[in-house]
Amino acid sequence: MSRVHYGTRAASRLSRRRVLTIAATVGVGASAAGVAGLSVAGEKPVSGDSAPLVLSLRDAKKGTFDVFSGGSKVTLTDAKLAAQLLKAVKRA
Amino acid sequence: MSSHREAPEISKDPVADSSDLYAFVSPDEPDTVTIIANYVPLQLPASGPNFFEFGDDVLYEIHVDSNGDGRPDLTYQFRFRTELRNDKTFLYNTGPIDSLDSPNWNRRQFYSVTKVNAQGKATVLAAKLPCPPCNVGKVSIKNYGKLADDAVHKLETGEKVFAGQRADAFFVDLGAIFDLGTLRPFQDQHLIGKTLFKGPGDAVNATDKLNVHSIAVQVPTHLVRRDGKKKVRGRDPGAVIGVWTSASRRQVQVRHGDRKNDDIEVGPQVQVSRLGNPLFNEVIVPMAQKDLWNSLPPSEDKRFVEFVEQPELAALLPVLYPGLFDNLAALNKAKTPRADIVAILLTGIPDGLVPNFQNSTGAVQADMLRLNTAIPPAQTPNAFGVVGGDVAGFPNGRRIADDVVSISLRAIAGATVPLVDEKFEPDAAATAVQQGLSIKDVSKNLLERFPYLPAPFDGFNNPS
Repeated sequence: MSRVHYGTRAASRLSRRRVLTIAATVGVGASAAGVAGLSVAGEKPVSGDSAPLVLSLRDAKKGTFDVFSGGSKVTLTDAKLAAQLLKAVKRA
Repeated sequence: MSSHREAPEISKDPVADSSDLYAFVSPDEPDTVTIIANYVPLQLPASGPNFFEFGDDVLYEIHVDSNGDGRPDLTYQFRFRTELRNDKTFLYNTGPIDSLDSPNWNRRQFYSVTKVNAQGKATVLAAKLPCPPCNVGKVSIKNYGKLADDAVHKLETGEKVFAGQRADAFFVDLGAIFDLGTLRPFQDQHLIGKTLFKGPGDAVNATDKLNVHSIAVQVPTHLVRRDGKKKVRGRDPGAVIGVWTSASRRQVQVRHGDRKNDDIEVGPQVQVSRLGNPLFNEVIVPMAQKDLWNSLPPSEDKRFVEFVEQPELAALLPVLYPGLFDNLAALNKAKTPRADIVAILLTGIPDGLVPNFQNSTGAVQADMLRLNTAIPPAQTPNAFGVVGGDVAGFPNGRRIADDVVSISLRAIAGATVPLVDEKFEPDAAATAVQQGLSIKDVSKNLLERFPYLPAPFDGFNNPS
């Protein structure tokens, strides 16, 4: 029996480990600046290095990132990481 | 109407689109309250090979506010999961479906029910409850009623739940109303209609023979009241609850095309649909703010109070029906804030305005379907609810047969202004206006037991 999934299936392409690897490669350590409180009660947090994680660069100048993982969003500020990623994107 | 495709964004996302919300003291179980939230509106019964279903990627919620702050004190969450039995066939069913675990039923949905209390503590009440199939047709499903009965689940905590396809029992003449506010029974008195029609016309129920997906929960009344009391008086503020439904999606989605299983959905849930009182977002909120309204909780509804105090439709009626709404026109011209509409939609009707009735939740302005749980079901219900002298009906909660379109039309037209201004004399048309439809214009009978909505129209007998 196969199962139909549209939910929080673990992704192989963009995992927490992979993003951390990218960050390590560009030589930047990010610092947590805040946690958004949008999560709905009853959502179980998805944890572990295999959990999908998505970065959104909200403000390139300030280096403000929204980091989405499981049922939460964390806001990070790291101007250097932002610059490195932008540089990488332009190269691609 | 009442909330089918009511806002630009959600009209493109039917799986998450709430179309109707009902809340009433159960007529056959008066110690319980039944709440029904309909989603996935306007389904054609003949919809193979991919029949309608809930979204596995949508969080569906039914909220109850028991202390009047416009925030949930009790929430039931419903999460769905679809399973395929056979990934080698294109068929929904490979033979007759005679039970919820029929091996012939290929694509099934299951759901979990989670209860969240006022402190945000979540408790999973049930997991992997089966939905009934869509009503494919009589060849595939001989006894749909039995399958639907089997899909009513009694939880250990006292609630009954049902989630699945039902007939849409909402009745509205969509085609006429959104053709410049035409009401067919009065079409010959319409500003433009009088040049087109020689007499009144018969209303047409645009949602007849269409299906929806319903989430229904029947809750022992004391579980929804603020103090948990089994018996309260109707005048007790603790008798009144506010109800709304919402649907949410994850904030981020990443699609991978041919690698569907690698798709990512992460982040907080973001609300994309909301429904309390019928027609609130549909005809009160301006189009430019409808999507915003859908994203907010009722506690934020003071942002929209100006549209309730001066409803756009109230200004249109005297223009569209010249000479019929002169008193309303004078009220509009004086820019008198419509305290009656504010009470009906945003705060509830306080004690003393309607004999033996109140459903006030206090000063917080929030669009919620307010139900006084101490008022017993009516022996002979009146589809016009409170304005028809039946305090067990809309806007005291909402029963399935309540004619909320006509009630709302009458209220907007000024019929309820005397509740707050006894000197105001409503136009004769305000107390006579109606859309010309009733529950009898729904081609299926309501059930006399939970979940009350009729079995869905089947594809074979409703091919177009």
